Amino acid sequence: MNLEPIEWVDDRLGTAKFTRKSLNKIFPDHWSFMLGEIAMYSFFILLGTGVFLTLFFNPSMATTVYHGSYTPLDGHTMSQAYASTLNLSFNVRAGLVMRQMHHWAANVFIAAIVVHLLRVFFTGAFRKPREINWVIGSILLILAIVEGFLGYSLPDDLVSGTGIRIAYSIILSVPIIGSYAASFLFGGQFPGHVIIPRFYSIHILLIPALMAGLLGAHLAIMWHQKHTQFKGKGRTEKNVVGVAMWPAYALQAGGFFFLTAAVIAALGGLFQINPIWLYGPYIPYKVSYAVQPDWYMGWLDGALRLFPSWEITGFGHMIPAVFFPAVLLPGVTFGLLILWPWIERKFTKDYEYHNLLDNPRDNTWRTTIGVAVITFYMVLFFASSTDVLANFFNVSLNLVLWSFRVAVFVVPVITAVIAHKITKEASAVPGAGRPRKAMVIMRSDEGEYTTVESPGRPELELKHQAIHGGEPMELPEEERAHKRELGEPVSVDNEAAFATASPAVVLAEEIGERPSGGTGVFRIPRAAGSGGGLFSPRGSRPNRVDNDEANGKDGDR
Amino acid sequence: MSFHKKTVGRLLVPVALGVAASVAGMALFSQGASAATLSSSSVAKGVSSVTYGGTRGSSKAPITTLKLNPSTIKLGHTLFVENCSSCHGDAAQGTSRAPNLQGLGAATIDFWVSTGRMPLADPTAQAAIKPPRFNRSQTLAIAAYVSSLASGGPPIPQVNLGAASLSAGEGLFSTNCAACHTITGVGDALADGVYAPSLYTATPTQIAEAVRTGPGNMPRFGTSNLSNQQVADIVKYVKYLQNPNDAGGIGLGHVGPVAEGFVGILIGLGALMIAGYWIGGRAH
Amino acid sequence: MSGFTPDLELNQNEIVKQVERRYERIVGISFTISLLASIALGVVFWQGGQTQAEGALLFVVLGGLGFGIVAWGKYLVPQGPYVQEREELRSPADEKQAFVESLERGESLLLRRSFLVKLLGGAVGAFGIITLFPFIRSLGPQPKKMLYVTNWKKGSHLVRPDGSKVHVSELEVGGVLTVFPEGHAGGAISQTILIRPAFQDIVTKPGRETWGPQGYLAYSKVCTHAGCPVGLYQELTQQLLCPCHQSLFDVLSGANPVFGPAPRPLPQLPLAVDSKGYLIAQSGYNEPIGPGFWERA
Repeated sequence: MNLEPIEWVDDRLGTAKFTRKSLNKIFPDHWSFMLGEIAMYSFFILLGTGVFLTLFFNPSMATTVYHGSYTPLDGHTMSQAYASTLNLSFNVRAGLVMRQMHHWAANVFIAAIVVHLLRVFFTGAFRKPREINWVIGSILLILAIVEGFLGYSLPDDLVSGTGIRIAYSIILSVPIIGSYAASFLFGGQFPGHVIIPRFYSIHILLIPALMAGLLGAHLAIMWHQKHTQFKGKGRTEKNVVGVAMWPAYALQAGGFFFLTAAVIAALGGLFQINPIWLYGPYIPYKVSYAVQPDWYMGWLDGALRLFPSWEITGFGHMIPAVFFPAVLLPGVTFGLLILWPWIERKFTKDYEYHNLLDNPRDNTWRTTIGVAVITFYMVLFFASSTDVLANFFNVSLNLVLWSFRVAVFVVPVITAVIAHKITKEASAVPGAGRPRKAMVIMRSDEGEYTTVESPGRPELELKHQAIHGGEPMELPEEERAHKRELGEPVSVDNEAAFATASPAVVLAEEIGERPSGGTGVFRIPRAAGSGGGLFSPRGSRPNRVDNDEANGKDGDR
Repeated sequence: MSFHKKTVGRLLVPVALGVAASVAGMALFSQGASAATLSSSSVAKGVSSVTYGGTRGSSKAPITTLKLNPSTIKLGHTLFVENCSSCHGDAAQGTSRAPNLQGLGAATIDFWVSTGRMPLADPTAQAAIKPPRFNRSQTLAIAAYVSSLASGGPPIPQVNLGAASLSAGEGLFSTNCAACHTITGVGDALADGVYAPSLYTATPTQIAEAVRTGPGNMPRFGTSNLSNQQVADIVKYVKYLQNPNDAGGIGLGHVGPVAEGFVGILIGLGALMIAGYWIGGRAH
Repeated sequence: MSGFTPDLELNQNEIVKQVERRYERIVGISFTISLLASIALGVVFWQGGQTQAEGALLFVVLGGLGFGIVAWGKYLVPQGPYVQEREELRSPADEKQAFVESLERGESLLLRRSFLVKLLGGAVGAFGIITLFPFIRSLGPQPKKMLYVTNWKKGSHLVRPDGSKVHVSELEVGGVLTVFPEGHAGGAISQTILIRPAFQDIVTKPGRETWGPQGYLAYSKVCTHAGCPVGLYQELTQQLLCPCHQSLFDVLSGANPVFGPAPRPLPQLPLAVDSKGYLIAQSGYNEPIGPGFWERA
């Protein structure tokens, strides 16, 4: 290996120790920890496709007469923003696929954030010391929703223009400052001539910069605090068990970025999203029925539909009807979301560090509350399509609306009760949710019957072993680094074995071992009772973990 | 990475399959694209020489009136008595169950009968589009009979799409029709159990008839509100919406962000979560 | 990978090679497919591009890369599990103590001149507020009477979006039209929906005896809930439905809200017919149109 560049950088920045530790960083390995990655990769794709779009989009509300290649709008007067979106879609190579990827990535981005947030919530990963990251993540969600709405508004088509009109009314509804805020933001009365350019600079500059900064902080804090992990074999509050950053995790995470991009590209090329050419340019007196916002705003739209026609007037002032569902509700929602770690602590009085995650079924009350809250917002989300549902199921719109007004309160209670019952029962059953093993009844020669748990399906066990190994051990370089720090002699004898060890080797070893049950040609010593494979410890194992502590509740395999 | 000869041989099969699949996919999609190009070029024929709001390229009248043959009135009477009179009365004068049809014009009769809405199965619900009970000549015969009872009402329009402007149609459609039928023509539920139907199965004559006669809850658009030319333009745009330019791929029913949200979450995030499930570990 | 049954007669070394080769092959095929799809994508672009082909090929390109890289990272490199100690996040007590001491040392040095500190704060704060002022004030005008008035005035002719006047004979009974005050066709605030439910003069509410000449009624088209155009006229039931949040207004009773979230009736425009038979406004709206706001009583 050419050491020159490493030397060059280290001489100037002294990075060797930090980068060594980073390369050897251990990431707990669980599929649910990939959800945040989906969000992050979607964000990168949004940045990339977004930059492409800015090269062709013209955020101007000045009007132009369209004579482009989309003939059904030939001769129409429209804003430059809309016309340039048409050109981008029909006359720029890969323009439409990029535009659609951008929009799909936004939908996936926010969905991934939400699912990631739910994972963090239900597993209690927001507890000390991770409250700061919970707050940053919550702010990222809010910014992402605002960012999505702004982006949806930019093409200035009929559907999004109606959305801006509603946004204007919502800003107008804020007590005391509403009319000033609306007038300042829109540069006067709706629609004005500045809202699209202003949305544009907020959309491409302000919020992305904020999000990039917060995302950086989110990751840096996660890196510094180290990831949480589920309870399990060898896992304690004081260690991290998983795959090494270099190369396994780097490859898996890097590959996952491409897979995310691949799925979004498939959506972008094969599924039409926001066909603004069919919607036509925004003209204030025109309107289409069945106008909905993108899904992440659906709960707000649903709330606007369900909230009764209550408008409070008195003392010469008015609190408009839209204030409650469109300003107060999101305010309370995000306020409670951000403050949740402290709210929960108020009840649990839990001031301890938590690096091991809860199993959702073990924390009955948190799970129950979470399920109720999700249900509430899901009902609101479905309420945003009352008209579509009424049409689809051929029932009266009025009936649908009233059903939702009832359901928004009743359904969360029902799901909460169900969630409570299920979690309560499941938490009382040891090993619930684990793969079941057959019970084998043995009859001895004397006629005595005994029941024994079968060892499980051998091929599944084998596969699991091959992929997830056995006893956790320290990375050899880290082990040596520790020894050097302690001034102990350093041996490098397991380096060769480490360099070639892969799941294939472990699998092959297991396969080779099976028929004879004894030694293969290259039989390698292994830790007693577990498939340590080639990683079996030769030297000391200073970090050999205490199984009892970790397995107290969850049980070992 | 080095491959043995045998490996290379084995490689070729899946590679060939992959390439074949991509080529087939491209061929499939480019076929769709060429269809789209075709339709847009046929569109271009109609409007290329004209600008929005100007003349429409054809000197023919945009809408002509279908002359009904008086000799079919007798057949129409027979059909009417057999199928309609129990509700609308022997001379279409109306009863307590159904309205008077006299003076409503041939277009009204033709619209309700040719879309299958009449005869009606359930008088309490909004009449739904069904396969029509009568063939074209029978329908026209009934229209001839009813319109022979009293004068008035719009005649059956025949739309000359060659004389219509697609882009003018878009402007008129979004102003007058999209508020109920939605901007993509897919239709939606209105208040109190009625709905604006989907426009995807309507024929040019039926669209023009609906505009002129205002069936059910639909407002009427007379000649001083929308000229014959404008009605023809709208018809042309509605016909376009029945097979629009879905350049972006699968149209998802043209119902907008609701369907898109489901696809984004279920297919997009769903596929990625499955990938994540493969990449990441499971519970230990 | 399931379904793989190696030849058990081989010795272990052979099996290792066999298994690893299998994974290498999978990764190799994956990268090769990606490469070929890239070439195909280049061809598509060269040919002028086609959205579906681009999307599908991008999927193959990126998916091939992603699948290959992940498979490499999952099956051909060691997975551990490895273990790592968590370092204590909390600093040791003496570290904290030293930090507090440093902080206090500097703080006491500064606070010795507390007057200057206050003055500095005041100067920076003043600068901040003063620079904020032109920024905010340049963003837009003060609302003033903006939300109370429209362009409708006494005698304004009703015109269509194209600017043509509406004659009293022109709308069918059961017809509907969007109108504007003359000179402001297409305006967002003044947009008004003109309906003709009957031949006779219609009184929707007491005090509006003359507002509906010859069966014409005109209401503000801006919904009193969230401001969407209430463009959806149900002729048979004489109702206006707002497409955004499904507020329902009863046309014949002064556009009273009868269903949904809208809190107030749509303001009604008093109509008249001029000497030539064209529709005009008797006056502007007698109340602010559209959704509510704080200053409105």
